[in-house]
Amino acid sequence: MGYKFNFAETDSLFCNILEKYDVYAPKRFPKQGRYSDTDITRYSQIKSINEIEFNQKTDYSAKEVLTPVNETLFYFTENEFKESSAPKKPILLFARPCDINAIEIQSKIYEENGEFSDIYYSRIKNNLKFVLMDCNGGDDTCFCTSMGSNVTDNWSIAIKQLENDYLLSIKDPEFEPYFQNCEKVDFLPNFVEQNKVSLTIKEIPNKEVLNELKHHHFWSEYDKRCISCGACTICCPTCTCFTTKDIIYSENQKVGERKRIFASCQIEGFDTMAGQKEIRNKASERMRYKILHKFHDYKERFKTKHMCVGCGRCIHRCPEAISIISTIDKMNDAIDEIINKNIQE
Amino acid sequence: MNKDIDIKKLRLNCFRQSKEAGKFMLQMRVPGGFIDAKYLSIVQHIAQTYGDGNFHFGTRQTFDITGIPYENISEVNKYIEKYIKEVETCICDVNMNTIAGEEVYWEPQSGYPTIGARNITACIGNYHCICGNINTFELARKIESIIFPSHYHIKINISGCPNDCNKAHMCDFGIIGVAKMEYHPERCIACGACAKACEKGATRVLSLNENLGRIEKDECCCVGCGECVRACPTSAWTRKETPFYRVIIGGRTGRQTPRAGKMFLNWATEDVILNTLKNWQKFSAYVMDNKPEYLHGGHLIDRAGYKKFKEIILDGVKLNPECLVAENIFWQETEYRSNFNVKRP
Repeated sequence: MGYKFNFAETDSLFCNILEKYDVYAPKRFPKQGRYSDTDITRYSQIKSINEIEFNQKTDYSAKEVLTPVNETLFYFTENEFKESSAPKKPILLFARPCDINAIEIQSKIYEENGEFSDIYYSRIKNNLKFVLMDCNGGDDTCFCTSMGSNVTDNWSIAIKQLENDYLLSIKDPEFEPYFQNCEKVDFLPNFVEQNKVSLTIKEIPNKEVLNELKHHHFWSEYDKRCISCGACTICCPTCTCFTTKDIIYSENQKVGERKRIFASCQIEGFDTMAGQKEIRNKASERMRYKILHKFHDYKERFKTKHMCVGCGRCIHRCPEAISIISTIDKMNDAIDEIINKNIQE
Repeated sequence: MNKDIDIKKLRLNCFRQSKEAGKFMLQMRVPGGFIDAKYLSIVQHIAQTYGDGNFHFGTRQTFDITGIPYENISEVNKYIEKYIKEVETCICDVNMNTIAGEEVYWEPQSGYPTIGARNITACIGNYHCICGNINTFELARKIESIIFPSHYHIKINISGCPNDCNKAHMCDFGIIGVAKMEYHPERCIACGACAKACEKGATRVLSLNENLGRIEKDECCCVGCGECVRACPTSAWTRKETPFYRVIIGGRTGRQTPRAGKMFLNWATEDVILNTLKNWQKFSAYVMDNKPEYLHGGHLIDRAGYKKFKEIILDGVKLNPECLVAENIFWQETEYRSNFNVKRP
């Protein structure tokens, strides 16, 4: 069961929902792209459904709604502190299946990794519902079907944009009353079954192979190609790394706020320790760390799917045209090479 | 060879005298140096049918066809009627029945009516280039109808960004595409990539304030190149939607006093550029008492003096609020003839 309504009716239908919820969705920002006269699309709070960019994958992921690039955790004055306030309204988040799956993966890190749950994350996550956006399989950087993130049942409303109308399917009874007077149609969300590109990931059978893989020569290509800008991890919907910083307002060092800010394992200095020792001081080592985290370590740690959801944003955003798909292909070859060599020995 | 040829008349017709008696080189205008590749077959046809079969990329981005015998010139002029009409009238909206804005009948089969205002050159600009801030050939096409046809000389070079690959600094009226940047602190991760890019490739106006986790900018010396936008992994730097332009005047090569041009306008809008150039004929007519000579724009500025130039060229031009105008210009010439300017009164 579903509903159909045209663009003109949309604002009045969603008026009460927009009143009750802070609604976040993909939005186009004209001419704000990396190159002149190009746009970016990213998540932003919207006041009308018609503001939403339905046709293009966002440059930046939906994670920015749950964990903003900059987030104040608390304010401090001498020995006292006050936590930043939680959002007043619940959030309604428009997202495609890959992005919804990505948020579930992030939740594992924020809420299930270690002994405590991150309250700043949970206070938003627990107050959030998804509007599933219909996806036709994305562009030529998308490989969600290869990662098993093309399907989800974690949604309250599903929406599909047609030429002049929207189709809606409602799973969460809370939203039924708003659409009762709309034309009733058969509509259930469809999940894409094939992307333009696909990826197979070789399992790394044991620690010996893993250790040899870490030192394989194919990584060194990235010393020459990767500029360590971190764009791939900033836009990645599953990357969770952040740093904290105390912002001091004035000469008085006792007054200020503590922020958390996105960090990137690709940017130099990410793993600099006390004493200035840096663990991975080459682009190739940083690339290896990211790739193995997405395609080995996370799965090993949580005994579930790989961390990467195949949204392809890292490919899309890389200013040096490095494709994670090719990187995995090369890694697969390296794994084969190591295994074959070990058999021969 | 015994031929009676009016060399000067043919030069105005865009046929340049060859060292080989009775031979000429046709210079076909390509405003902005950008055109549909289909016109290459016209060039090929002229070269193979009327010329010596060869072709030169003119230094001012004209199609230069060498070795055309004097006898073939009227045939060539008939043949290029279509090219002139399509390029000048259709693409650039030029009124061919004018000279310097005055109505003068143009015989369509007589070739180019004037050589005065030289072909406007441009780099590829943001049609292709990752550094470009503006669409250079579109601007060139708008300017073409303002300065052509005219017997008053002016060389205009357009560069898409302050890297100035197309040498706006070495012509009468150079235009450089610049961007005003916007900083979105809420998206900044204080990685410092922009500051590094600015230090390496621009004017070192950005610095990272470690206390505030923010980038600080010395607005005064920003050249508007957009390297910060290109370097930023989070879109914390974006270009403002409106493009701006810098104007460099009085640059030139030549045997006597070559010099690099100096900044006349900064942060001017397109309207300001076009309206300023609309005063070019008036300024030239003033300096030369309505009698066009073979004298380039920079020399006219010298004759009038910068202040008089400024007065006439900006007459009636409404400057945008951001626009800065040079109070004075201090030229720095290479004087190949010492005491060149000291003459008997």
